[in-house]
Amino acid sequence: MTNHCCGPGYASPAEAMTAPREKLLYTIAIYTGTGIQKPDYLCTIDVDPESSTYSQVISRLQMPGIGDELHHSGWNACSSCHGDASMERKYLIVPGVRSSNLHIVDCGTDPRSPTLFKVIDGAEIKARTNLSAPHTVHCLGSDIIVSMLGDAQGNAPGGYLQLSKEFEVVGRWENSMGSIKFGYDFWYQPRHNVMVSSEWAAPNTFMPGFDLEEVGHLKYGREIHFWDFEKKEPKQTFYLGEDGLIPLEVRFHHNPDSSHGFVGAALSANIIHWWKDAAGDWQWEKIVDVGNEPHPEWPIPIPGVISVILLSMDDRYLYLCNWLHGDIRQYDISDPHDAKLTGQVWMGGLLGRAPEVNGVKVTGGPQMIQLSLDGKRLYVTTSLFSTWDNQFYPEIRTNGGCMLMVNCDTENGGMEIDPLFVVDFGKEPNGPSRCHETRYPGGDCTSDIWV
Amino acid sequence: MTSFTITLANQGGAAFDVDRRKPLLQSLREQGVDLPYGCKYGGCITCAAKMISGKVDQKAQRALNNRQINNGYIILCVARPMSDCTLEVGVESHDKLYRNPFLDPLAAHELKADIATPLEAKK
Repeated sequence: MTNHCCGPGYASPAEAMTAPREKLLYTIAIYTGTGIQKPDYLCTIDVDPESSTYSQVISRLQMPGIGDELHHSGWNACSSCHGDASMERKYLIVPGVRSSNLHIVDCGTDPRSPTLFKVIDGAEIKARTNLSAPHTVHCLGSDIIVSMLGDAQGNAPGGYLQLSKEFEVVGRWENSMGSIKFGYDFWYQPRHNVMVSSEWAAPNTFMPGFDLEEVGHLKYGREIHFWDFEKKEPKQTFYLGEDGLIPLEVRFHHNPDSSHGFVGAALSANIIHWWKDAAGDWQWEKIVDVGNEPHPEWPIPIPGVISVILLSMDDRYLYLCNWLHGDIRQYDISDPHDAKLTGQVWMGGLLGRAPEVNGVKVTGGPQMIQLSLDGKRLYVTTSLFSTWDNQFYPEIRTNGGCMLMVNCDTENGGMEIDPLFVVDFGKEPNGPSRCHETRYPGGDCTSDIWV
Repeated sequence: MTSFTITLANQGGAAFDVDRRKPLLQSLREQGVDLPYGCKYGGCITCAAKMISGKVDQKAQRALNNRQINNGYIILCVARPMSDCTLEVGVESHDKLYRNPFLDPLAAHELKADIATPLEAKK
C-alpha cells in the first residue's frame, strides 16, 4: 500500500495508480466575460458515488474581486516532493489569466470547503518581475514556478515566475528566454535535465479573442523549446511549421526515466511526439493528424482544435479533445511512435453529433480533461476561454458550461459517457458559469512529476 | 476644462462627470458604476464598451482590431475622454465585438493596427 513515511504524492506512477478513488474534485468556474458581475470561483464537486450529493457542487469559494478569468491551477507540492516529509499537498495555486492575481487556496484544512489562504496581487507581480498572464503551475520539489505568458504590458514572450514554498515572490526563474517568441505550457523531466515549453501567443493577441488571420502574421506559436533545466535556459528549438500550429498542452511520460513526450498542436489538430534517440539527440514526429470536417453551413471545413491532451498514469493511453468537432479520443500509445485509436465519444461541438448528453444541452465542446489515477474515470469540462467561447459558442452565455464523466476501459481500450454523472453549470446560484480545469486532492495525471 | 460628461445610454442615460486625465474605467467605477474588466492594461477586451458619440484617446489599447474600432468599441481601462461621450457598456454592448473567425474573416485593413494594410485614402 501507499508508503506513509514520506512527503506528498507517491513513490512511483505505479504506486499512484493504487491510490484510493477520488471523492472530491476542484474545478474553477468563471463569470469573467459572461455579463454576470460576480467573481470567478473554485467549485468543490462530490464524486463519491456512495454520497447523497454525488455529481453536485458542494461548496463554492469566490475570489475577492471580479475579472480574474481563473483558468488552470496547480498544487504547491506533488510527487516531486515525495521524499520530503516536511511538505504537504495542501494548497492549490489558482491564477487569474487576465488579472495576473495568484490565489493560494487552502484545500487541506477542510477539503470539502476550501478557503482563501493568500492572494499575491497581480500588480505586485508585474512591478517586481515585469510579468503578467499566469498560466501553468508546477512545483519543483519545493519551490513553484508559473509560466507567465506576457510582460507587464501583455507582450510576448513573458517568462517564468518563481514562488517560494511559503508563496513569496522570489522573482524570475529563468536565466534566459533565448529566442523564444511565446510561452504557454511546460513540463519537466529531471532525470533528463530537460523542460519542454510550448507556445500560445502574446496575451494582447489571445486574450481579446481569436483572429485567425493573425496566425498567418506569426502572432501565434508554432515552435516547442527544450530547456537545460538546471541552467534554466532554452537549449534547442523545434520549428513545427504547419504541422504544429499553436502547440498547447505539454505532457512527458510519467515514467521519470522516459524521454518520450507529447504536445497537442491545437490549430493543426496534430499530436507531436518527441524523444531522445540513441545518440542522445532530441527528435520529433507527428503521430496523430485529425482531419478537418465539413460543415453544411461553413465555407471551409472545421479543424478539430485540440485544446488539451493528457496521458494516463501508466503512460499507455493518450487522450485528446477536439473542442470544435466535439469528440474526445483515446489512443493506445504503448508504442509512442504508433498511436492507435481505441476509443471515441462525442459531446457538444459544432458538428452537431451530440447536442445533448444526460439531459443537459452541451454548449461548447470537450475541453479540459482530468483522469483518475487508476485511469478509469475521465472528467470533462466544456469551456475554453471566455472570449473564445463567445466567438465559437455564443449560447454558452445563457447555457453555461457543464462537466461530464467518461468511463475508460483500461484493459481493452474504449470509452463511454457515464449516464449518471453531469454537473450543469447553467444552473449555478449566481447564473450560468463556465467550468475549466479540474484537480483532485490526492494528485492527478497532469500534476505529478517524479524526480 | 478638466472634466467631461459621460452618458451611459444602456443604464437609463445616467451621466457622470469624469476627469479627462483618468481612464474611464477608473472614473466610472469610482462613482459606483459596476463594469466588467480584466487586465487593466488595455490588452484583454473584457471592459470593451461601444461609443455612440464622442472622442477618446485609447492609444494604449492593444486588444481591438480595426473592425472593432470601426464599430465604435473602446477599451475603458485605458481610454481617456477627449470630449463628452455617450457609451453603451457591459456585455450588452458586445453584439459586434465577437465573430466566428472561420465564417467571417477580416479584410487586410480590418486587422489590428500593427499588421493592418491601410485602405487607400478616399477623397
